[in-house]
Amino acid sequence: MINPIVRCRGVGKSFGSGELVVHALRDVDLDILAGDFATLAGPSGSGKTTLLNMIGALDRPTSGTVEIDGQSLAGMDKSGLSELRLHKIGFVFQAYNLVPVLSAQENIEFVLQLQKVAPDERARRAREVLAEVGLEGMGHRRPSALSGGQQQRVAVARALVSRPSIVLADEPTANLDSATTTELVGLMARLNQELGITFVIGTHDPRVMDHSQRHIELLDGRIASDTRS
Amino acid sequence: MQNLKTLAPLAWRNLWRNTRRTVITLIVVSVGLWSVLFFNSFLNAWGQAGKDAVLDLLIGQGQIHAQGYMDDPSIERLMRPPEGTFLEALEAGEIGAWSMRLQLPGVVVSEYKTLPVNMVGVDPAAERILSSIPEKIVKGRYLLDAHDSSVILGISLAERLKTGVGRRVILMSQNVAGALSEQSFDVVGIYDADKATEDYYAFTGLVAAQKFVGLDDEIAQITFTIPEEEALESTVARLALAAPDLDVRPWKQLSLFLATTDSFMQNFIYIWLAVVFSLMAIGIVNTQLMAVFERTHEFGLLRALGMKPRQVLVLVALESTFLIGFGVLLGVALAGMTIWALADGIDLSAFAAGLEMFQGGQVLYPQYDAQRFVVFSLLIWVLGILVALWPAWRAAKLSPIEAMRQVT
Ligand SMILES: Nc1ncnc2c1ncn2[C@@H]1O[C@H](COP(=O)(O)OP(=O)(O)OP(=O)(O)O)[C@@H](O)[C@H]1O
Ligand SMILES: [Mg+2]
Repeated sequence: MINPIVRCRGVGKSFGSGELVVHALRDVDLDILAGDFATLAGPSGSGKTTLLNMIGALDRPTSGTVEIDGQSLAGMDKSGLSELRLHKIGFVFQAYNLVPVLSAQENIEFVLQLQKVAPDERARRAREVLAEVGLEGMGHRRPSALSGGQQQRVAVARALVSRPSIVLADEPTANLDSATTTELVGLMARLNQELGITFVIGTHDPRVMDHSQRHIELLDGRIASDTRS
Repeated sequence: MQNLKTLAPLAWRNLWRNTRRTVITLIVVSVGLWSVLFFNSFLNAWGQAGKDAVLDLLIGQGQIHAQGYMDDPSIERLMRPPEGTFLEALEAGEIGAWSMRLQLPGVVVSEYKTLPVNMVGVDPAAERILSSIPEKIVKGRYLLDAHDSSVILGISLAERLKTGVGRRVILMSQNVAGALSEQSFDVVGIYDADKATEDYYAFTGLVAAQKFVGLDDEIAQITFTIPEEEALESTVARLALAAPDLDVRPWKQLSLFLATTDSFMQNFIYIWLAVVFSLMAIGIVNTQLMAVFERTHEFGLLRALGMKPRQVLVLVALESTFLIGFGVLLGVALAGMTIWALADGIDLSAFAAGLEMFQGGQVLYPQYDAQRFVVFSLLIWVLGILVALWPAWRAAKLSPIEAMRQVT
């Protein structure tokens, strides 16, 4: 049996304390397998973002364990979590994904710089992923000179370039129009199929769910259903 | 190192994003440093001018007496005029001028009053080079030569005695025999200096003074000037070596008041530096904090992408390093230009009336003080960077999730 990329066991997360305590996640067991293209849905406040934060090593659970590529988050300090994110995880957020003072190409190269990849290889890999997301020749543009959809594609390219174990996207299409949404989801699905990149996408959007081969529903911080198609 | 190569270009670009921060920081740092550097030059020039005025009057850069004279300035503790190697040492390069004096403490008597006085026998030829008193004669004339047995009084003393040019006064002082000599002198000139000098010092010819108390050629004091301030210590040491049985002193040991004001002037700038820096620190911390909070979301993003807290700290610290560095350069340029523009001197005569320390029409010449320029600039830069570490630390300790929730 292959090891899962992400392994959550009995994961709980609560915010606040006393009467005001909020249980954002309760006793979640979840394995994400290599090659998964999973969507994570559920009503607002059901814990999608919180769960993605755990899987993405942005936060640690209050109870239970999260392992990423066999490494447990428990006992890792801030710097250790940063290191783990840098090498294992790609992120695409809802908006403002890019560093405004860097061009598209530089935004992508930035993570490789943090990984201490040599300049030549950095530039080559950044151009490759830009082509992969259909933004060939747009590398010199600053984020402000790109449309919302283009910005999200740069974010996808940046998430890919470090060859992470998994790419996490939280509402990546929330700010996009219908056509652009379809385009972006199509792109991610293609990258999943052609390059075998693992995606977990938190979303409300049925057009995104249409493409998923695994669909996870959260309700009140619990997994209500987990179905593969 | 690799870190800096990644972070420095990013920090550089971030510099120009927040115009308000950039402009405020540049102004605060450059104006602050400018004021420190200019004030330093101004204070130096001021202290120097005041000091020069006082030293030029009577004290000189140094004096030589017989051993024990300074503690007990009596007629028994005089010395012979210089000769041999001592004379050669006095005639050497660094010494601008020297003058022999005989000081006779005593009283001066007019028709109306008897007042204490210090009668100084001088050689007018030497005094004209070394002292500013000859130029300060406002009525009558200065002494003609060492044999001139008339007297010069200060304005204030003359007024208190109700005497003046063309009148006579009687001077009394202890003579070599231990008895009291008394002689009348013609008042031929009135000088205008500060009140303390005017009230106490009267001048007559050296030979005339020696005769008055029955001396041959003994003197009480040799006053000398040294144009190059840096040569003072070595010259004093050299003179002391040439005249081992005499007491050679630099001005700092002659006038405690001047030595104290001089070191106060030298050190006052540090008080100013502290005041300026405190204000600057408030400005820097506030603008940097503001700039950090405006970019909260972005720091969250950078942390999410895998930047470590320490790298965020370095990033923000680098931004302040550049920014404050520019402020420092600007401040140095401003100070340099101001001093250059004032190279012809600042005329303080308009204010000098109230400042007794200044002897009329005082002009200050602020100068570049290269060493302090460099030291103060670096100090401001380094201290500025240190206080800016606080906002940088705030940025570094932002939690990525909290920061990302803030959508701005
Ligand atoms: N930092 C926090 N402090 C307090 N409560 C929080 C915090 N983060 C999340 N919560 C709470 O945890 C619960 C789950 O939030 P979460 O953001 O994970 O929901 P979500 O499914 O992503 O919702 P949405 O669809 O609106 O994005 C909510 O009740 C939320 O208010
Ligand atoms: Mg959410």
